Amino acid sequence: MMIMDTPSTNQSNKTSGMTRSVAYEPKGDAKSVNYAVIDAIRNGAVPEPTMHPEVQAPDAVIDIQKFNLWYNQDAKALHDVQMKVPRGAVTALIGPSGCGKSTLLRSINRMNDLIDGVRVDGEITLNNSPIYAPSVDVIELRKRLGMVFQKPNPFPMSIYENVVYPLRIDGERRKAVLDEACEKSLRSAAIWDEVKDRLKSSALGLSGGQQQRLCIARAIVADPEVLLLDEPCSALDPVATLKIEELINEISERYTVLIVTHNMQQAARVSDFTAFMYLGRLVEYGPTASIFQKPKLIETEHYVSGRFG
Amino acid sequence: MTQSTLEPPKPAPTPEPQPAQVAKPAHKRRRTLPSALGEPMVWLTGGALVTCLVMIILLFTMVIVNGSRTFWPQPIDQLELASGETLLGIETQHEEATDQTEARTLFRIGNRDIGQSSFRWINDANILNRTQPEDAVMLEREAWGIWFGFPQQIIRVDPETGAPEIIADDASAYFDEFDALHKQARGDRETVEHMKKHELGGINSLMDRARMRVQQAEIDASRDVSELPRFNIFGWGAVFLVALACVGAFIRFRHYGTDMGSPVARQGKLIRATSTVVLVISLVSLWVGSPWAGSSISESDVEQMRAELVETEAELQAQYDEILDEVREIEQADGRLRVTVVEPTTNQFSPTSQTLADQRLHMSQIVRQVRPNTMGFGEKLGVYLSRWWEYLSTFPREANTEGGVYPVIMGTVLLTLLLTLVVTPMGVIAALYLREYAKQGFITSMIRIAVNNLAGVPSIVYGVFGLGFFCYTVGSYVDVGPSESTRMNVMSWWVLLVLSGVLIIGAIATRLWSKPDPGKLPGRMNVVLQRLSWLVWGVSVVCVVMLVAGTPYFNGLFEARASKGTPTFGARGLLWASLTLALLTLPVVIVATEEAIAAVPNSMREGSYGCGASKWQTMRRIVLPGALPGILTGAILAMARGAGEVAPLMLVGAVKLNQDLPIDGEAPFLHADRSFMHLGFHIYDLGFQSPDSQAARPLVWTTTLLFLSIVFALNLLAIVLRAKVRSRMAGPTV
Repeated sequence: MMIMDTPSTNQSNKTSGMTRSVAYEPKGDAKSVNYAVIDAIRNGAVPEPTMHPEVQAPDAVIDIQKFNLWYNQDAKALHDVQMKVPRGAVTALIGPSGCGKSTLLRSINRMNDLIDGVRVDGEITLNNSPIYAPSVDVIELRKRLGMVFQKPNPFPMSIYENVVYPLRIDGERRKAVLDEACEKSLRSAAIWDEVKDRLKSSALGLSGGQQQRLCIARAIVADPEVLLLDEPCSALDPVATLKIEELINEISERYTVLIVTHNMQQAARVSDFTAFMYLGRLVEYGPTASIFQKPKLIETEHYVSGRFG
Repeated sequence: MTQSTLEPPKPAPTPEPQPAQVAKPAHKRRRTLPSALGEPMVWLTGGALVTCLVMIILLFTMVIVNGSRTFWPQPIDQLELASGETLLGIETQHEEATDQTEARTLFRIGNRDIGQSSFRWINDANILNRTQPEDAVMLEREAWGIWFGFPQQIIRVDPETGAPEIIADDASAYFDEFDALHKQARGDRETVEHMKKHELGGINSLMDRARMRVQQAEIDASRDVSELPRFNIFGWGAVFLVALACVGAFIRFRHYGTDMGSPVARQGKLIRATSTVVLVISLVSLWVGSPWAGSSISESDVEQMRAELVETEAELQAQYDEILDEVREIEQADGRLRVTVVEPTTNQFSPTSQTLADQRLHMSQIVRQVRPNTMGFGEKLGVYLSRWWEYLSTFPREANTEGGVYPVIMGTVLLTLLLTLVVTPMGVIAALYLREYAKQGFITSMIRIAVNNLAGVPSIVYGVFGLGFFCYTVGSYVDVGPSESTRMNVMSWWVLLVLSGVLIIGAIATRLWSKPDPGKLPGRMNVVLQRLSWLVWGVSVVCVVMLVAGTPYFNGLFEARASKGTPTFGARGLLWASLTLALLTLPVVIVATEEAIAAVPNSMREGSYGCGASKWQTMRRIVLPGALPGILTGAILAMARGAGEVAPLMLVGAVKLNQDLPIDGEAPFLHADRSFMHLGFHIYDLGFQSPDSQAARPLVWTTTLLFLSIVFALNLLAIVLRAKVRSRMAGPTV
């Protein structure tokens, strides 16, 4: 778990922070810059995130309200995160390793439930229905969301069975329906032409990039309300990455996409909105263009231009 | 890092050597020590491996060579001894002279029924002349083992006068006539055996069944049913309504609390669980307490049944006698054909049996006649193969030292298959719970250690347990119901039934409320409830076991037979043997399955959960298929272990001889209650328990060879299956 690398912010101390992976080395001309917000965060404060006006009251699919998350008793990974994910757009979560962006993403379909000792506070709503209310059926919830993971994880079955897996577990048996959904979803994932002649062969025989597109096809086959992508290109080569990015662009016409990436260029290329996180806090959140060109915080500007982090 | 430690440190490049300034290193580099050289280790490890391989090859070679030569026909020697005796025999062993003993040879001389011992050591010095006469034959007989002699006559005895009609009067005529007549006689013999076994046996079992029916009716009639209260029609109707109400409640509330975010999810689950439990209890009550159940047989009914039985018996007896007459007729015709085969020592001919020494041997008593001294290779091969076929396809004779091992093979294979069928699902389910559902912690570790230790318990201990628990306790429960001491009072049984229902519902309720709200850590209340639910579950299980074990309403399935002193399941048998072996091999399957499950990557599980699959769906569709090759490996190991066990079988079901196969054409086809023969036990029996163990010794090798082949074949089957599964699961090389 990446979050374990994060220095405990409750008793934040500079030396430990410096030696950890969270690099904070002002370089060159940045030496004279005063990172007020970052310093406050590193001292354990939870500053109010800087919100651009465009994201203050959008038509939100996901609304994260004062969300906190602890691994075990005291390893706090998310601090009062508050953001609205706009409908029909691609929203990217960026930030240095261990900033809690994957944790936040996995909180939305409650994959964190699988880890012992996770505790949360606050609420997330998906299309106005609460996710963490008592007695939410996690299975129902996950069926409304699609998820793609860092490493392509096709199941050891045929390509066809991989794609229709969410429908199968939902009890769909009609072959015509499955066939149609399979083709549609594979076309949407831009992999139909490559696999249409070998749908019955094992999915493990595909290349890494193809496997990841297959996973995307699997994630969208049941028409999810939101597609969650957890660093989908981190295990792929540049060519495969490019294909996936093109695919995200296409898909975003139909689905709301929330993508975690540690690649700033990727965020700039594929997303409409970008949220910058640091040590479990949301730092700045706004349209991608403004975040990358005229961010309100000097920290964000230096982070997206690679001067720290 | 590793790189730098492996490579010798390079001296820092200095532009000019300045020896005066270089500090003397504290550690002087030495030449490579002899101990650093690996050569001796290569020899040592390689030698150890070679030793192992040699042992294995030796084992297999020995078994194969010794096992496969048993049936090859050996030449018959005629010996003239210094004492004037003349003997026929086959050389089986030769000892060179030593300081104390002279050179001597062991001959198999057979002819046990005229008082010879089967084997005899003869000093080489005593043998004056050793020839291999062409006419000498070796008769493999149905009884009394082998007969060596010279054929002289074939005669047909007149049934009335007893006067012999001579068919062949000298050796050459004998050999000319023998084959055709022998085939005919053996054919008749087989017909008779078949009739005795199937037709007479069938009538016997019909008669037995008819008697048992009457016996059961007598028992039922004599039982005092007033002590077992049943519902009257209104009470029964009321319970029926309760059952209907439960079904209704389940349907009515099937969607209750299943909406996302529903605050009454637990209540909904509890309602559905409660209605299911109450439904089950009402169904049990309806069944057990139905006014139509119980005995309605009166004394007069029994009288009538007795009368019918007499009729049936008479009818069956008539049929029996008819078949018996037919059998006798064939046997008599058969008995008329006799052979005179004389052995040279005392000029005795081969008798019908030891007690009928003046009667010549029946042609049909000869299983096979071998005349090895004139045979070519092809003929010998023919005899060899026919002996193998006989060995594999017929029943044993002569205290297992002759004949075949067909029932033994059947017993072994059936036992192994049954035990695999039992142990694999049981082990897989246990391992699934242990690895996927149970919270990993101290208790699961303890259970794992316990399971592993189970594999180290001496196997005879399982035999003792199987005999005591399965055969005598469970078996007698199946036969005659609960024993007097465990049978419960009727009222307390009904109270316990209701109590178990309440307890189970309580256990479900505490379990439901012991789970913390999503995203919350379990509070003190949750922990208390969870412990409580475990406790209540435990008590409920005990209650249910008591309910089943102590029910006053069950009187066993084979009461009549048991009342005659012949238990059906309450004795050693195939079912209990396979259950005992399943228990013995359970750890193997559990450990293998756990490892296989743990080896399924977590990313697969996450992917499945991310698709909205439940835990069970993930297990069924992702984890289990992924672990299937490993599970099959466990099953193969269990099979191999179980097939090779003998010690517990001696206690729970393997017997020296059982002519009734555990599987046959008579309903219910698989007779799991029967005792069976087992190759492992058979080997022990042949080698150490048979009256003529020296004659049986070659058969020990052959049986070992067969046992090895069968275990190997079963394993091969499973391995092929696993390979198929593997190739289906894995894609082309990634």
